[in-house]
Amino acid sequence: MAAPTLPVADRTVHHPPSTRRRRRGVEPRRDLVGALLSLPALALFALFAIYPGLRVFYLSLYDYSLTAPPEFVGLDNFTYLASDPRFLAALRNTVFYTVATYLPALVLALLLAMGLRRRLAGFGLVRLLYYLPVATSWVAIAVVWRLVLHPDGLLNQALGIDVDWLTSSAAARWALVVMGVWKETGFFLILFLAGLSRLPGDVFEAALVDGANAWQRFRHITFPLLKPITAVCCVIAVIRGFQAFSPQVVLTGGAFDTEVVNLFVYKTAFESARMGRASAVAVLMFAVLLVVTLVQLRVFRREDA
Amino acid sequence: MTTSQTRRRLPSALLWLVLTAGGVAFAAVLTYAVVSALKEPGDVLTVPLSWWPDRPMWGNLVLPFTETPFARYFLNSVVVGVAVTLLNVVTCTLAGYSFSKFSYPGRDTAFVVVLATLMVPLEVIYVPLYALVYDLGWVNSFAGLIVPAGTSAFGIFLMRQSIDAVPDELIEAARLDGAGVVRTLLQIVAPLLRGPVAALALFIFLMNWDSHLWPLLVGSDDEHRTLPVGLAAMQANNLGASGLPMMMAAAVLALLPTVLLFVSLQRRFVEGLTMSAGIR
Repeated sequence: MAAPTLPVADRTVHHPPSTRRRRRGVEPRRDLVGALLSLPALALFALFAIYPGLRVFYLSLYDYSLTAPPEFVGLDNFTYLASDPRFLAALRNTVFYTVATYLPALVLALLLAMGLRRRLAGFGLVRLLYYLPVATSWVAIAVVWRLVLHPDGLLNQALGIDVDWLTSSAAARWALVVMGVWKETGFFLILFLAGLSRLPGDVFEAALVDGANAWQRFRHITFPLLKPITAVCCVIAVIRGFQAFSPQVVLTGGAFDTEVVNLFVYKTAFESARMGRASAVAVLMFAVLLVVTLVQLRVFRREDA
Repeated sequence: MTTSQTRRRLPSALLWLVLTAGGVAFAAVLTYAVVSALKEPGDVLTVPLSWWPDRPMWGNLVLPFTETPFARYFLNSVVVGVAVTLLNVVTCTLAGYSFSKFSYPGRDTAFVVVLATLMVPLEVIYVPLYALVYDLGWVNSFAGLIVPAGTSAFGIFLMRQSIDAVPDELIEAARLDGAGVVRTLLQIVAPLLRGPVAALALFIFLMNWDSHLWPLLVGSDDEHRTLPVGLAAMQANNLGASGLPMMMAAAVLALLPTVLLFVSLQRRFVEGLTMSAGIR
């Protein structure tokens, strides 16, 4: 499902597979050596991605504590989770974090990209200012944000408000959202700017000549042309939202209604030693990501046609 | 055209102002961190906040090294980051070359399987992955930190795309001259791959520098902590006001390498990022 979104390099066109296939059988020994070159990567994938990927389904049906052999429990892990208020809360918190962070980040990134693609003096530097959070590490920058979010910190003083960002259930989830938007907007800005730079210029010229205003040009030309990139961005956004872990660990430790699914998995597996139950959550997470990705790609493709 | 140009001059100035102000606001967080790192503990959280310390305490920048095992965390991050990056460059280039320039049964299937792993983030598999690494005896070891991250589907994809662009005739000529498969790769193909390899290396290093969850699992003892794990532990021990400048200094020092790399190699990074998202 990732495959359809992947591009084909323009340059491969000049070297169709046929030229490669022509050599088949001419020097089988050479091709054998060539095949062996993929082994280091394939061995690493087999051992550290595919095997655990299959094993997670197996473990989800077991009670497993790492030190004792797994004990088959059928779907018990799943039925337990369905009625575990802590898991359901983690799921709600993850959906909240993902939507509340990435929707504004995507919209803001698109708006900024529309503005920053203009060649105005100093815009190279301004772009860099928005990019910088992308180059920071989540944990290091969360340490900084602990200070920003302090009652006497930068955020409260800049906004002239007095909020205990990290010590109340009402505010903590928004604190993580504010930090998330700051950290992630630049990432999508880079993607949108790259996408915009590849759009054909003559379409815009024509629209300008036809007297289309800025909004009309965006609504009828830019946005439709950006749809494939927007789709990719949405998919990445959901995956990143469900990957959330570090800011929650550093800023709240999951307290005040900020425990996300990933943190729940971590605690279940490594603090409660419930590896099977944690695997069941991972299976559900995989299912959610798969469905969301498929739906988004479908929706965007249909509107495209 | 002239009327539309004059009509657009005012909005341009406004746009410039708004976007620059926004950029400055974004950068304020990092400036705040640097300034706070240079203050005395009692001066960090003043109301109103000051954007420059009365007396900059440059010595604060040394505190993480003298008061905590920060140097070890930093070194661990460099070692793991460099090792993971080198491994990725080697495994991805070899696999990309193999998938691009040779014919053998199962080649395309293998490539599709590799791409399929892109859909499965670490978050979905880390429980059985940890169990495996535990069985291998690699918990709290550099092997556990490095080897599982030793290749990447994105890297293989990037390298295959790039090697596809190397003309077959060039490789054919090398073959006729009697060069072996590996020699052809090293002397003919590799020199043409400088750009993509740089993008890949930068991308992998930045991602690895940020990696937190996996190092927390397999490198949680003091000997093997990388920066994210070490910083989180340091912060847990320094929640009081007295530790604030030191924590800010540590965070700034931890941010510095990747921010500098990013600023100096922005074009390459953007290349790697947009390639990884499949935007060309």
